[in-house]
Amino acid sequence: MPHARRFSATPYLFILPGMLFFLVFLLYPLVEAFRISLYDWKIMPGAVSTFVGLDNYLRAFKDDVFWIALRNTVLYTVVTVPAQMVLAMLVAVLVDALPSGKVLYRTLYYIPVITSWVVVSLLFRYLFDPSEAGLINYFLMHSLHLIAQPIPWLREPGPAMVAIITLGVWKGIGWSMIIFLAALQTIPADLHEASQIDGAGPVQRFFSITLPLMRPTVVFVLIMLVIGGFNVFLSVYLMTGGNPLHRTETILTYMYNQAFNFLEFGYGAALSYLLAIIIFVISFVQIKFLRRPIEV
Amino acid sequence: MRHRRFRLSHLLLYALLTTGSLVMVTPFLDMISTAFKSQTYVLEVPPTLIPREPTLQNFVDAWQSNHFALFFRNSLVVAVSTTVLSLLVSAMLAYGLARFEFPGKNLVFYAILLTMMIPSLMLIIPQFMLAKTLGLRNSLTGLVLVYTAMNIPLNTFLLRGFFEELPRELEEAVLIDGGGHFTIFTRMALPLSTPALATVAIFTFLAAWDEFTWALTAIDDATKRTLPVAIATFQGEHLTQWGLVFAASLVAILPVIIVFVTLQRYFVKGLTSGAVRG
Amino acid sequence: MTRKTLANLLGALVATALILAACAAPAAAPTPATIKETVVVQQTVPVPVTATPAPVEAPIATINFWHTYNPVETKVLEEKVIPAFEQAHPNIKVQDQTVPYDDFRKKLLTAIAGGTAPDVARLDIAWLPEFADLGALAALDTLMNDFDTYKSAVFPGPLSTNAWKDHYYGLPLDTNTRAIVWNKDVYTKAGLIGAPKTIDDFLADCAKIKAAGSTCFADGGTYGWAVMPWIWSMGGDITDPKMTTSTGYINGPDTVAAYQLLKDMLDNGYLDKAILGGGLDTYGAFAKDQLANVLDGPWMPPLFASQYPDKAIDFALMPAGKGGPISVVGGEDIALFQQSQNQEAAAEFVRYMLSPETQLALAEAGQVPVRADVADQAVKAHPYFQIFFDQLKTARARLPHPNWPKIESILTDAGQVILRGEKTPQAALDEAAAKIDPLLK
Repeated sequence: MPHARRFSATPYLFILPGMLFFLVFLLYPLVEAFRISLYDWKIMPGAVSTFVGLDNYLRAFKDDVFWIALRNTVLYTVVTVPAQMVLAMLVAVLVDALPSGKVLYRTLYYIPVITSWVVVSLLFRYLFDPSEAGLINYFLMHSLHLIAQPIPWLREPGPAMVAIITLGVWKGIGWSMIIFLAALQTIPADLHEASQIDGAGPVQRFFSITLPLMRPTVVFVLIMLVIGGFNVFLSVYLMTGGNPLHRTETILTYMYNQAFNFLEFGYGAALSYLLAIIIFVISFVQIKFLRRPIEV
Repeated sequence: MRHRRFRLSHLLLYALLTTGSLVMVTPFLDMISTAFKSQTYVLEVPPTLIPREPTLQNFVDAWQSNHFALFFRNSLVVAVSTTVLSLLVSAMLAYGLARFEFPGKNLVFYAILLTMMIPSLMLIIPQFMLAKTLGLRNSLTGLVLVYTAMNIPLNTFLLRGFFEELPRELEEAVLIDGGGHFTIFTRMALPLSTPALATVAIFTFLAAWDEFTWALTAIDDATKRTLPVAIATFQGEHLTQWGLVFAASLVAILPVIIVFVTLQRYFVKGLTSGAVRG
Repeated sequence: MTRKTLANLLGALVATALILAACAAPAAAPTPATIKETVVVQQTVPVPVTATPAPVEAPIATINFWHTYNPVETKVLEEKVIPAFEQAHPNIKVQDQTVPYDDFRKKLLTAIAGGTAPDVARLDIAWLPEFADLGALAALDTLMNDFDTYKSAVFPGPLSTNAWKDHYYGLPLDTNTRAIVWNKDVYTKAGLIGAPKTIDDFLADCAKIKAAGSTCFADGGTYGWAVMPWIWSMGGDITDPKMTTSTGYINGPDTVAAYQLLKDMLDNGYLDKAILGGGLDTYGAFAKDQLANVLDGPWMPPLFASQYPDKAIDFALMPAGKGGPISVVGGEDIALFQQSQNQEAAAEFVRYMLSPETQLALAEAGQVPVRADVADQAVKAHPYFQIFFDQLKTARARLPHPNWPKIESILTDAGQVILRGEKTPQAALDEAAAKIDPLLK
């Protein structure tokens, strides 16, 4: 019966409420954002928006800050994604091997994930205080003796990016860890035992058995983290605001400032679209080349 | 011999994991410690983890004179409403996509995949104008509707994966007994998916509880602020009074941590049993 | 079966709608216990006998008032000023909200764009031209038939910041400027008796203060509020008086010298690195004798005393260069928005904020009154106001231009480039001039 090939309204009724939300609040804005990006958009009541074609996009290519923002966004993704994945995998494997206390460690590593971005961004601003009294500076100076002078963290572009990236990795490890851990627990124990009998060491077992079995999970996490990396916004917005001199700006902080600080909605929309295109292409490539082989 | 190496390696395991979790936890300890310090002792050299003259004044100031009880209520209303609503519509949508063949199914599915990839923040400009047109700015309802929509793609994607693996035979049994698809959905699919639903619910709740940018942009009225906006604003007003800022922050993060610690069993079960295979 | 399915699904949809409604209802309903009302309820004030009695059945108008008052000022506003206003006007409720200064302009722009501007706002005088030019503000001189009585009651300088094109779009609410606040304990330790009168003396003192182990001076950035006193005191400026060009002014020799001065101070360790950003708890540093001088406004003493009640502070004029001891005029205007649905009630609130008693009440928290008739009384009650009145005699205003926010952002960036040693003052300011000139058209 359910396989009978005749028109049925049932599936449409199931998807209707969700699709309403989807169409009104996601798809329509997605299309509308493109339209806005083609205008010198005026938001004030009564003002006339003029069609400018692709000018907003061309403006981005000639805008130094756009390139800095793009560089920072890419840098953030390229550093935080592998760092999170490697550390999370390490923690997951170690926790999985624990004879007891798994829940405790899992919780400790997961707490940053469930803590609000606003709170941890402010907290890291405090920890990375430029003076000697900041916890990080104090630790580096007096516990590790790595530096002689306090590092002016958020005051200089390079160190500021280090602080922002550190926060990204610190907050993100738990998320990947818990998903890896869940996947590890689905791996049948007899597989391990079999290879143990074959005389394989733990490291060898991990690379020859565990990792290949976890491939779908790893790919899923990778794709999600890359999307998340390109989405970096709040930590930068709250820690440096893109300063000094726009040098810690990311695409989304720049977009938000253009839109809501200077009412440049058209330019902001164009910046968003450029970012979306980049993410789309990268995700598409990842799915195409990483996902296929195991999805039969 | 073998036994001893075994225990030694366990010791190493605990040592490594404990070192790592210290890195995870120390920032929080510093935050808690600062929340109990008066301004004189904030950022002193050397930093102290145990406050010298601990005070509750920061908590009193944050909670009493700054309306954090109200912001807490706002956040709770928004996060709970979003979770319930988003779960319901995402589950229906995911079920429709998982269990039926119909024209346009692939189109819908790929559209959802596409929106999973785009940054939700890129939609803020048109969403802002849409909310203005629909009169949804400056209202908690507006937050709930947008948050629900924001969470639909990922929730649908995860739940669809779970629903697809439910055995078809059970479904046919219900149909033979004269039940409809809605019966299957409510009586069979949903109860069987509790772990997946719990996982998705926790993700959604956290996302709604923590969301900042849309709330900052959509809400003008101070009485309608949610906790993240209230805390950021509070920090802007009290710039370097970190004790006060962290006292307010603790109020916002402790409930989520408690909820997670209590419910994590179901959450992890959900991850293990399906959502993870998305 | 299909029909049954249909019925079931309709049921599901109804359920969705119900849940939606149930979720939305508590959210959508206007919060009955608003913040302001809670405050009022807690105060058991005697029922006023006077005041304009309004008809009981008159609808209650709620007006939203946005401001950047600091916590000490907000306390006076919420516990004294607004309750008194609401008693005198039983049919008007005032809902005030504090917005941090750094977020305020953005928040206001967003609200105006989103159609939810407040009824009244207290705006930095530097922002008024931009908002007036956007068409966001109501012309007070046409809206208020008694505008002239207020116009003649306030100081002309602050009043002038409300004029844009042919109308007045606000009224001054408070005025201020920055003067030197100096730390006697640090000066004594450095073997100095009093604050310097000239920039040359200031530099000489800084050397001694540094030798005594403290930082001479600190500021939070290179924005206009921070750098303009140095530019003007050194004889420089940003544009010509008519605001037609910045070339020859912002990159003129005197402005270049002012930036060179700041750069030298930074390099010599006289100026705290916080000027490069990242923040510094100046009050904390001052209280701990790590810092000798700041430029600060009249709100500082009450606010500082609320955090560090035991630390004494002293005042002096901005040190003079070849331009004189010139500081920057600050202060706020109160403006009414076009979008307001309660312009009458809002205007009533504006009148109340400009009344002598309100001006004096807010003076408690360090707000310098703008009414000539209460200024003497305020100085008597708060002697430290005198230095600010003295400083105001020569102080100047930031560019009253609608593009000021954009110009200021160029100025801020130029300052950062110079202080970070990436470009010479001349080169950086030449570039700034080229960017600012088109914005002045």
